[in-house]
Amino acid sequence: MINKSLAERRSDKELECEINGQPMSLEVPPTRRLLAILRDDLQLTGTKVSCEIGRCGACMVLVDGRPVNSCLTMAYQCQGKKITTIEGIGQDEVDPIQQCFLEEGGYQCGYCTPGMIVSVKALLDDNRDPGIEDIEEALSGNLCRCTGYGGIVRSVHKAVQLRRNSS
Amino acid sequence: MALTRTTSGERWRIRPDGPDKVTGKLAYLTDMYQEGMLIGRVLRSPHPHAGIVSIRTDKAKRIPGVHAVITHADVPGMNRFGIVNPDQPVLCEDRVRYIGDAIAAVAAETQEIAALALESIEVEYVLLPVVDDPAFAQTKQAPRLHPGGNVLHRNQYGHGEVGKGFAKCKHIVEESYSTPRQMHTYMETEGGLFIPEDGGRLTVYSPTQHGYKDRMQLARILGLPEFNIRVVSSPIGGSFGGKDELNVQPYGALLALVTGKPVKIHNSRYESVRAGLKRHPMKIKMRTGVDENGRIMAHQVHIVADTGAYATLGAEVLNFAIEHVTGPYTYESVEVEGVSVYTNNGVSGEFRGFGGNQAIFALEGQMDRLAEKLGMDPWEFRLANMRKPEDPGPLGQTIVRTDGAMRTWESLARSPIWLRRHDRRTSEPWIRRGTGAAIAMHGSGLGFGIPDPAGGMLALAEDGKIEAIFGYEEFGQGLIATLELMLIEQFGFGAEDVRIVIGDTDLVPHSGSSTASRATSMMWKSLQKLRGPFLDRMLNEASKLLSQPADNLRIGRGGIWDKSGEHLLLTYALLARNISEEIRFQTHFPFPVSPTKRVGAHYLYTYAAVAVEVEVNVLTGRVKVLKQFHAIAAGPVMNPQGFLGQIEGGSGMAVGFALTEDSLMERGAYLTRNLDTYLIPSYADLNGEIEVHAIEELPEDDDHGPRGVGEIGSVCIAPAISEAVFQATGKRVNKLPIDPELLQETPDFLAKAVDGI
Repeated sequence: MINKSLAERRSDKELECEINGQPMSLEVPPTRRLLAILRDDLQLTGTKVSCEIGRCGACMVLVDGRPVNSCLTMAYQCQGKKITTIEGIGQDEVDPIQQCFLEEGGYQCGYCTPGMIVSVKALLDDNRDPGIEDIEEALSGNLCRCTGYGGIVRSVHKAVQLRRNSS
Repeated sequence: MALTRTTSGERWRIRPDGPDKVTGKLAYLTDMYQEGMLIGRVLRSPHPHAGIVSIRTDKAKRIPGVHAVITHADVPGMNRFGIVNPDQPVLCEDRVRYIGDAIAAVAAETQEIAALALESIEVEYVLLPVVDDPAFAQTKQAPRLHPGGNVLHRNQYGHGEVGKGFAKCKHIVEESYSTPRQMHTYMETEGGLFIPEDGGRLTVYSPTQHGYKDRMQLARILGLPEFNIRVVSSPIGGSFGGKDELNVQPYGALLALVTGKPVKIHNSRYESVRAGLKRHPMKIKMRTGVDENGRIMAHQVHIVADTGAYATLGAEVLNFAIEHVTGPYTYESVEVEGVSVYTNNGVSGEFRGFGGNQAIFALEGQMDRLAEKLGMDPWEFRLANMRKPEDPGPLGQTIVRTDGAMRTWESLARSPIWLRRHDRRTSEPWIRRGTGAAIAMHGSGLGFGIPDPAGGMLALAEDGKIEAIFGYEEFGQGLIATLELMLIEQFGFGAEDVRIVIGDTDLVPHSGSSTASRATSMMWKSLQKLRGPFLDRMLNEASKLLSQPADNLRIGRGGIWDKSGEHLLLTYALLARNISEEIRFQTHFPFPVSPTKRVGAHYLYTYAAVAVEVEVNVLTGRVKVLKQFHAIAAGPVMNPQGFLGQIEGGSGMAVGFALTEDSLMERGAYLTRNLDTYLIPSYADLNGEIEVHAIEELPEDDDHGPRGVGEIGSVCIAPAISEAVFQATGKRVNKLPIDPELLQETPDFLAKAVDGI
């Protein structure tokens, strides 16, 4: 026999959260992955899907300012949270981090780029003067297959320099 | 001079596709969505080798929300695909030959329903013995995987008599090299959107490296005229050869036509791993001998390539490896044999470097070993045997005269990394440092005897934009940026005057494939051919409108200017509005080939000399690449950011090939199913120094212009790392990726404790 309370718990619930500054109220099962909510329900496809096990970082978003793999985050974990996707970064004008990636050529196919920029954003929002090890740690969950990281290293170092100078 | 943003000056530009990439606005073909679209999924074989007794789809078809379940019986045309040798079933009839073989496909309203439908398809198999070893595959006891047997392709090359050559040798090095089943690991897995259109047409939005080739293959499968299919194939989230062959397109197309609804397919990573191509694992045996003066007298090579279950370009990859196991050297005698063998180990196919990576790893390993035997500096040893500019190519074929080998050799010899190679000081006793180098020549284009068309189109569009229209694809390499820069520099247009049209078979001419380091080269040549007629016509039309002699006018940013360049006389928009006849020029020509009639032999080559400095931690056995130096001779640099990016990216991928990457299989099943166990290099692995020198000068009589650099950055790294590891540890590497256990040492204090000292 179906356990009624369990069935109820599994039914769609109202998810209240803020996505890119906009309050949202979504009818989704508590276990729906944030990645699916963003890409499939809201068509916010700047967040990319690649490994779906939290290894590549293509789906990286900020939840209350912290970088998370949206493929590993469920709807219930987003209750009351502020979620920022790549679409929420540099909405009005290009973010200095994005500008650094543009100028230094920190991307090729661009598929890892949104996640990469989200991770750099999280790093620099949290740390005004990160050292090499901080950068390595911050980007340890973001894989790029095109650039060999050459352009990404230059972009990140430039963004770090800008952040230092601005503080 | 090192190629950097600073040394590139104004030629270093923000890519036209950059802003949409850094903001996430760019819609990849796998991001596409259409109201009412269905989700497509493919049922793939769980067995590497089995007979199919029956396929029952009725249960799956009865599930509410399932719109179609298709099998081989639903393929209207040819139930096979393969760019050159179509031997892979779209949907298997009676037998599966690898763990990714497709048996059925479903279209359903949601992911969940599609998954349930796949589970509800009943397939009865009878298991067959798994052929997982290319050596066993060639024996009489091995089950035959294809009607013609288990050999896909055999080829050879030779000159002189190696028996006599070896008789003259003072030193002979014999070694067997093994290379891994490397995965392309494009970040965007295969997928796309397939839309049935009015009038029986079908639009395919799905990445590929050659839209027209996909169209041809799909037409064959669907039993439709090619014209009824439109293939939109860019932008692409990485390919590296991996999306050159058809992947999900046949299933998406069939499901869209059967259901009459748009169908979206996007592979999960594991589906991409199991179904997708890999680099051919090769075992390369080499026996190479030198006389007392260090001249190579004999070079004998035997290659066995594991091509997996189906052909795709396996034969061409083997031909390329055979061509590249001799490199930029001269030999008194050479004997090369190669065989590409079918197994049940996935499917091997086209991958950046195309067999060159494996060949050059082995060949350069021989060079380092021979130098050691002779007590010679390895770089001087290479020089002593190096080809001369007028020498024939590696297959004895006529090639374009080139001094690329010498130029890259010299550049490396002067590089800071090489000059300090004897300094092995490290901070800790368990860290060892070493430097190694390698050199290569790498063919571009498809080679003699293989249709290799090129071309493009220039037009003045109705809105006044200059349209550059090419059948090439943008998978990240920066082709759009390169084309834009060529139009600015060679024509005088402004970036805002230009519109680039690629990746859509309804709009673009046949330009051939975006593979084999050929696209940049062929865009340049197309523009060279189109420039005169196109600009003349523009100036003539302007001359009529302005009532001024064409000689007084010039093409410039925004429009037609007076000769002095002081006054803009006519915008392109006004010109476009006032011409009586459309301005549109097209060119079509083949990729240049050698007059020597040997199938696959190349005519144009690029050259690379690469040095790396590594650190080996002998406690963990891990290798870290600290510094890289690349000298690349590929003609003039068309786009500095793209050039640098290709060398850095190609070499990064090759660091993975050398150190961590292998799609491990056991009895035909993948053990490494995702990026938790298949390890591509990360930021911390590749943030060392990298210096790239472009040698741009070509011999005076060389009018072939820029060569592509998509592959050349990836072929020298593995042998250079292997030599650096030898210099650091005294251990020779003959198998990739380098096994850390090979490099681990028992620490001194442990040895002392055991010895009781």
